[in-house]
Amino acid sequence: MSRLAPIRPLLAPVLLIVLVTLVGSLTSTATQQNFITALVSVTIVIGLYVFMGNSGVISFGQVSFVAIGAYAAGELTIPTGPKHYVLPGLWSFIAEHSVGNLPSLAIAAGLGALYALVVGLPLMRLSGLSAGIATFAVLEITYNLLTFWPKIAPQSGQTLSLVPTTTGLTQAAAGAIVAAVVAFAYQRSRRGRLLRASREDQSAALAIGVDIHRERLIAFTLSGAVSGLAGGLLVHQIGSITPSQVYLELTFLTLAMLVVGGTGSLWGATVGAVLVSLLDSYLNQAENGLHLGLFKLTLPSGAADLILGVLLTAMLVLRPRGLTGGREWQLGRPRVSKIRSASAMSYLGRGRARR
Amino acid sequence: MGTSGASRDGGSSGARLRATDVARAFKGVQALEGLNFELGRHEVVGLIGPNGAGKTTLINVITGFDRPTAGAIELDGVDVTGWPASRRARAGLARTFQQGRVFGELTVQENVELGALGVGAGAHQARARADELLSIMQLADHAKLPASLLAHGEQRKVAVARALASRPRYVLMDEPAAGLFESDISAFAEVIRSVRDGYDAGVLIVDHNMALIMAVSDRIEVLDQGRSLASGTPEEIRRNIDVAAAYLGASGVTAERERG
Ligand SMILES: Nc1ncnc2c1ncn2[C@@H]1O[C@H](COP(=O)(O)OP(=O)(O)OP(=O)(O)O)[C@@H](O)[C@H]1O
Ligand SMILES: [Mg+2]
Repeated sequence: MSRLAPIRPLLAPVLLIVLVTLVGSLTSTATQQNFITALVSVTIVIGLYVFMGNSGVISFGQVSFVAIGAYAAGELTIPTGPKHYVLPGLWSFIAEHSVGNLPSLAIAAGLGALYALVVGLPLMRLSGLSAGIATFAVLEITYNLLTFWPKIAPQSGQTLSLVPTTTGLTQAAAGAIVAAVVAFAYQRSRRGRLLRASREDQSAALAIGVDIHRERLIAFTLSGAVSGLAGGLLVHQIGSITPSQVYLELTFLTLAMLVVGGTGSLWGATVGAVLVSLLDSYLNQAENGLHLGLFKLTLPSGAADLILGVLLTAMLVLRPRGLTGGREWQLGRPRVSKIRSASAMSYLGRGRARR
Repeated sequence: MGTSGASRDGGSSGARLRATDVARAFKGVQALEGLNFELGRHEVVGLIGPNGAGKTTLINVITGFDRPTAGAIELDGVDVTGWPASRRARAGLARTFQQGRVFGELTVQENVELGALGVGAGAHQARARADELLSIMQLADHAKLPASLLAHGEQRKVAVARALASRPRYVLMDEPAAGLFESDISAFAEVIRSVRDGYDAGVLIVDHNMALIMAVSDRIEVLDQGRSLASGTPEEIRRNIDVAAAYLGASGVTAERERG
């Protein structure tokens, strides 16, 4: 057990991903989509977490990188024959080249990173409210580019279709595990630790030599890569994509996942993504009638989003650090509450002895 | 005392931390005015003065947390006036804060390791330095506790250890002994001396504990209303009547009585 100690916080997220995969493999093909969606959500939310969790800066723009990844992986895997037909205005470079599933995911991650780096250069100087607004503007810009620029996407926001559906349970699980490993490796690294320190106290971080702007940019770029990968997984799951599928609703949903799980930890990101994604899938199904054993549950339209909104609000009020309290899962470690009382005791003792 | 390094300064070598003619004005308040200050390697300088004298402002201006309205800062012959704080830190200029500012959620050990990581040390080196400093500062028992759980004085010791983990050329400490038990002060004085002698660093220490300042300083600077009021060895300062009037006052008299 002790030799596993350094990677212990990675085990819990990976085990949860494996568990979701196993349960999903036992269900019907239709239900299985909910589990694939949960795994793709884990990847998206880990991408969000790599930046927000480690830097403490809010970003509403992360789904832009998912969008870039989805369009890149989608367009590059449609065979060149039909591609000319469905995407007449496309840049000839994209139109004339097609790649396989795995290269398309790698390119999605690469472009996500590149895009994040470019927008991050000016943006990472901001924090607080201005960071929120500026990243939101990035989401807006990306949405409009994908809707109205036929050289990179179908005309006027039409569906990009005919994308090979290569994301089954296995690929979704593999992607989520890759994301978890990358996020974990980063947060344990020297740079990750420096950024996390700046999240706690900016002045103290500056005093120990942390170039906060640069460390944030690195995290933002890495989160762009993970988000791009997630976009690739997503488009290969659905087989098609529209700009509005990678826009406001997904932004809200994935932020809710991160907040519910706990922004401060990889474990929180994973738990939140799994729980909220499954809940969202089943609530949406319930709007069309969900068979629960003997009876059928039918929710009024809009109920799913309403329930998620209430859940998010309740979470922010009652448990602002999320279900996990923003901590990693650490088996066999004393609980903080115990440490707290033990140390209080030692100080009481100390005070008496000294005076 | 006081002869170990302070008297060796020829003034010719570039190896000094130097603030030349610095001024800092806040709306209506002249926190620093035409101030000159120097700190050599292997030297402990005590900086004293009444509340609001400008001690913290001077540390802020030197370390890059505040911009001087006039004047220049030079680090071993290099003009660093335009450098951001983090770059100055990586160049060997460490500081602590009057408010402590530990990373409260991280353990004591992680706090100290970060001091080394911040200036580019690897994980192993950081761990080794932290182990060493935690034992020097008598913090080893608390190594695995979140820093926020420590008493105030202990948190300041963590902040000092964190600053020292960067192996700074100069370290500027803002009231590091506030909140320490009287019985810990002499151990802390020993730490300051070993930073000077063992790490070969220049130390600027601001504190209201006159006994500590008198005990560790090679030289003392007295600041009042942003200007230098006096400068000299602890003995000279103690005899200086102006200083007694401006700063020591009642507490100075008590300090004298305790010693004499
Ligand atoms: N950010 C600020 N804005 C406005 N005035 C300031 C600011 N920082 C310091 N001052 C003023 O500058 C003067 C010097 O303050 P400074 O904090 O440097 O004093 P100090 O010598 O460190 O005092 P203390 O012993 O109380 O810590 C004070 O009059 C203070 O009110
Ligand atoms: Mg002060």
